Amino acid sequence: MSGLLEVEGVSRRLADPQPVVLVRDVSLRVDRGEFVAIIGPSGCGKSSLLYLLGLLDRPTTGSVRIEGRATEALSETERTRLRLRHIGFVFQFHFLLPELTALANVALPMRRAGLDGREAEERARALLAKLGIEAEGGKRPDRMSGGQRQRVAIARALANDPALILGDEPTGNLDSANSARVVEEFRRLAHEERRAVVCVTHDMEVAAAADRRVHMVDGRIEGED
Amino acid sequence: MRGFLTLLGISMAHLVVRTRQTLVATVGVAVGVGFFLAVSGMMVGSDKDFVRTLIDAAPHVIVRDEQRAGARQPARDAYPGAAVAVAGVKPAEEVRGLKDWPAMLADARALPGAIAAPSLSGAATLQFAGRTEAVALNGIDPRLEGRLAKIEASLVGGRLLDLEARPDGIIITRPLADRMGAKLGDTLVAVSPAGVTQRMRILALVEPDAMAGFYAGDNTAYGLLRTAQVLFARPNVVNQLHVKVADPQAADADAKALEARWGYTWESWQERSRDVLNLLVARRVILYAVISAIMLVASFGIYTGVSTSVADKRRDIAILRAMGFTARDVQTVFLIEGLVVGVIGAAMGFALGTALLEALSRAPLTVQGKPLVIPLERGLEQYLIAGAASMGSALVAAWLPARRAAMVDPVDILRGAA
Repeated sequence: MSGLLEVEGVSRRLADPQPVVLVRDVSLRVDRGEFVAIIGPSGCGKSSLLYLLGLLDRPTTGSVRIEGRATEALSETERTRLRLRHIGFVFQFHFLLPELTALANVALPMRRAGLDGREAEERARALLAKLGIEAEGGKRPDRMSGGQRQRVAIARALANDPALILGDEPTGNLDSANSARVVEEFRRLAHEERRAVVCVTHDMEVAAAADRRVHMVDGRIEGED
Repeated sequence: MRGFLTLLGISMAHLVVRTRQTLVATVGVAVGVGFFLAVSGMMVGSDKDFVRTLIDAAPHVIVRDEQRAGARQPARDAYPGAAVAVAGVKPAEEVRGLKDWPAMLADARALPGAIAAPSLSGAATLQFAGRTEAVALNGIDPRLEGRLAKIEASLVGGRLLDLEARPDGIIITRPLADRMGAKLGDTLVAVSPAGVTQRMRILALVEPDAMAGFYAGDNTAYGLLRTAQVLFARPNVVNQLHVKVADPQAADADAKALEARWGYTWESWQERSRDVLNLLVARRVILYAVISAIMLVASFGIYTGVSTSVADKRRDIAILRAMGFTARDVQTVFLIEGLVVGVIGAAMGFALGTALLEALSRAPLTVQGKPLVIPLERGLEQYLIAGAASMGSALVAAWLPARRAAMVDPVDILRGAA
């Protein structure tokens, strides 16, 4: 049976400005219900691997399959559509659109996916409620705390009910209490909602909370526990 | 549609955040559109008024007893393929006047909605109280001529139809009457080159007034056709036909077709006014060049605004792409920004232009003591041109930065932010 995410022999090289290998021959499988942490020193290629998993970048060699679907031959538009429906991103910095309210930020991917405004808003409100920040729905990001913003970002990542959640240092900018809440949320998403969660992190508490820890050094997977 | 509304929402949010820049760009477009409407309203209005005067004032086609080229030599027809040189040819002296003019007149009247009238024109001298003036005397059918050309509007003291009641009547211009010291009702002596003398009574005066209509010059006079034929000793002769057609724009084609059939010179109003019409085209070119320059300057505001927006929103572009928005979506967001500025600017410009045109129409201007009404064109066409120019320049101005936004690599931005 195939995993939700299957990576086979993926490498990513850059030719400019000077030749560099970001990711070397990485193979990885993540199933539904798993919370996987990718750890390693700065510059080891963790984020580069995450962008490949999230179809934001294309591997030089190797393949990335999502829910059994090969992605190498897909056009940029098809990859974007796949990302819209099946993948949710949470970044270190919340990256919310500053002009929009929390509610509008969360509703945005749903509206892009074709939901009408009212339905998108109702679902966005429900997501915010689930994350305990319903009261912040009408606020713009600059009126919220760092923890609230990151929870809005998680709600946005869940907007189109994706099977795969990718986190790029999601707790890197949070205090320990907020960090713990985010980690707990990721565990819940994996274990209760049966999503696959992959987090790139330096945070040992996040790593400790994950089901699996994948160690990367110089673009390679050195092992996992 | 929902997708478009989502993108529109993002664009509007960007524009609202940068209120001042948006306002400056919008006002730039509004001023461009407003002045386009005002200037083109005046230019096109005056052009149309001028052309209308050209069309209405004189017959659409005037047929003269002249040939455009000399008679064809029979030797050329006898040897069609040969190189023929005919030396010492002197054209035969023809009796002036249009031959078979009743048939030509009938043919001209057969044109859709056409009115045609015969005329005999020639040089004569008028004498009054010891003063003598040379005039071009036009013998006309007053009933038909009044419907053909806008003479009636320039007459004071009488009407064209008065000539029918008084075969010895004459209509001269007011400046000519002043020079001769003659007044309405005075009797002049007309002398033709044939030596015929006739006493003629002034029935009306032509007032030179640019606002009223056609004015052929101080030394033009009008009399009854029969009277002119007697004066010029050319009974039953006509040397001009005046034709008015239902579609003035078709006058040139009609004239060419009839000239090919009948010979003689069939001169349309377009041919008579070719130089003036060419000048009007040149004026239009200048107008649109100036307006294009104004719109170009206005589009710089949009370009700057959208460029700044793209530069400020690189991180947002990356996150939109990560969320599942395509490069085309991103491009559309910034194109919409330019377009919204163009649409609002055009709407404001329409209001400004309409107000300027209204102010121009009420401007208390006078020429030689008479009130001057500026002919203004306020047709839908001018608004459509201004709107299209505004949209076009907004789209072109926004396209370059929007394209740059679409080419932003989200990975570069996210890697840099991490």
